[in-house]
Amino acid sequence: MLEGKTTTAGLKVQQRTAAQSKTREARQRTLFLWGLLGPTVLIVLAVVAYPFVYNVVLSLSNMNIYHIRDWEVIGLQQYASVLTEPAVWVVFFKTVVWTLVNIVFHVGLGVWLAVILNKAFIVGKPAWRVLLILPWALPQYITALTWRGMFNYEYGAINLIGGVFGMDSIAWLTSPFEAFVAVILTNIWLGFPFMMVVALGGLQSIPGELYEAADVDGASEWTKFWKITAPLLRPVMIPAITLGIVWTFNNINVVWLVSNGGEPNDQTHILVSYVYEAAFSMYRFGWAAALSMVIFGILFLFTQVFLKKTNATEAAY
Amino acid sequence: MARVRLDTVRKVYPNGFEAVHGASFEVQDGEFVVFVGPSGCGKSTLLRMIAGLEEITSGTLHIGDRVVNDLAPKDRDVAMVFQNYALYPHLTVYDNMAFGLKIRKFPKAEIDERVREAARILGVEQVLDRKPKLLSGGQRQRVAVGRAIVRKPEVFLFDEPLSNLDAKLRVQMRTEISRLHSQLGATMIYVTHDQVEAMTMGDRIVVLKDGEVQQIDTPLHLYDHPANQFVAGFIGSPAMNFLSGRIDGSGDALSFVADETALSVPLGASDASLLRAHAGQAITLGIRPEDLYVAGPTAPNGSATSRWTLDVVEPMGNEIVLYVSSGPHTAVARVAPQPIPEPGTDTDIDLALDTSKLHFFDQETEAALTETPTADLA
Repeated sequence: MLEGKTTTAGLKVQQRTAAQSKTREARQRTLFLWGLLGPTVLIVLAVVAYPFVYNVVLSLSNMNIYHIRDWEVIGLQQYASVLTEPAVWVVFFKTVVWTLVNIVFHVGLGVWLAVILNKAFIVGKPAWRVLLILPWALPQYITALTWRGMFNYEYGAINLIGGVFGMDSIAWLTSPFEAFVAVILTNIWLGFPFMMVVALGGLQSIPGELYEAADVDGASEWTKFWKITAPLLRPVMIPAITLGIVWTFNNINVVWLVSNGGEPNDQTHILVSYVYEAAFSMYRFGWAAALSMVIFGILFLFTQVFLKKTNATEAAY
Repeated sequence: MARVRLDTVRKVYPNGFEAVHGASFEVQDGEFVVFVGPSGCGKSTLLRMIAGLEEITSGTLHIGDRVVNDLAPKDRDVAMVFQNYALYPHLTVYDNMAFGLKIRKFPKAEIDERVREAARILGVEQVLDRKPKLLSGGQRQRVAVGRAIVRKPEVFLFDEPLSNLDAKLRVQMRTEISRLHSQLGATMIYVTHDQVEAMTMGDRIVVLKDGEVQQIDTPLHLYDHPANQFVAGFIGSPAMNFLSGRIDGSGDALSFVADETALSVPLGASDASLLRAHAGQAITLGIRPEDLYVAGPTAPNGSATSRWTLDVVEPMGNEIVLYVSSGPHTAVARVAPQPIPEPGTDTDIDLALDTSKLHFFDQETEAALTETPTADLA
């Protein structure tokens, strides 16, 4: 009996220590994982989550130049104000045009150049590739300010070169339509290399045999592009286009720098530059926060619908 | 259907590499011709030149009565089946097969009829609305063949179409393509590195090496009368055994004596008369594994017995493969099932060589010395 008791007790002790070491191991593992995740979580919380939540709170507040310290939550009034202000809708319309025109040219130019660069007869491909990526590789503000200089009415390269060919000088930066064209031109220049690089990658993954099969089948270059290249580029281009749309929609740098803060007379704005001006020129913080939330909502909805509609996540091969 | 005629067709790449050195031969109307050779021998280049996917550097290529050197692939009326199938991944099986016809603006009803007919022949009716990624390797291969069939071209070109399939499926597809050939009666040119495919499928075989045509002949004639040592070694599995040595003796009593061993093979009268001129010269003797027997009552009459060391024994059930050596020489023998001693360094075995099945090759040129020149080129 006694012996049996001891054995049972000993067994229990053993089991307990085994269980203890197991939980200790598990705890250590959890600690280790948190050690790895911790810094990232902290940074994300600090630079994404906190500003986002703060922005949500601001958007519900009356914070502005009159209520910098004594601001209070006032509900959805700012949203109502944003959505009923006619200027916002005008800027929204301009933003849509800005985004669409840019994306069409980014993708069109990018794919076109990629297809050409991918042809066997092109010599010095690496050099061409580097040259064509340059606009994208340079810091945006340098390019933007360079273009602003080139658009100068009197001394700008564009009017000077136009003059050589007998064209009248254009008031690029001082008339609303031309200024809008100028920012779009600048951003097209900045954005096509990204699409070209993505398309080049996509093109290289299309097996050459498909084109040979099409040759034997009797397809023209045009047919080959529309029936083989385009559909097989889709899986890589759709995510790139989604990114491109979000980036372009939110691209304050180019608009702000080329138009010098919306000149002439705040006619050259897209939603984000409008938000920036509202917040930091007019100190309408609550109102700007509400508009930011509207922009976030628009882009969030768009990406969800676009990715779903285009089956972007479906593999081709 | 049409004949394909090549007249000193050459392919030189811009870097100076000559992939095909002046190939000249003719593929008859309705014939199934196989290009075979090791990788890099130019067989695919030759096929791609016929397809129009590769430019012809010099020489002329006829398909039917036309010189097609400068015609685009689509104007040559050929259809090609590619090694990796080259199915359009974003199109259904039906659309893949209909692609070429749609481009050629065939009426819808005819396209539908042809696609369904091809699908029926190939047994892919059930998967017509699927995309290629949902098909098995064998089905993809069938669709690739189907895409060629619907076009009803003058010439079918196959570029190693079975090399991506597993062994079992390969054997099955091999017979299916052969059946298809007899069903359609079309001219077919088929490229492979697999000599078994070449032997079983081809009406005639073109053996290539380093861009040069080595021999063109029917499978069996090629097997029995290889034009040179390369063809002899390439066609047949296990490969032909080669022993280097020389011809000894005088008058009618000639024999082959292998280098550095006591191995000596007396020559039959016909071999002797042909080889008399080479007496004393270094030559290579070739003998196929199935022409070696374990010495004894089962060996054929007129065989020469020699002693070998038995290295490895591979019992296959229906036959036994023996790996033997003698001095610097090694050989493989395929013998009937029978009791065989345990292999080992001191296990000797007497093998009988069927002296009526010997091949001799010049050691310098590697050309066959006893073979009658290629029989029927037609």
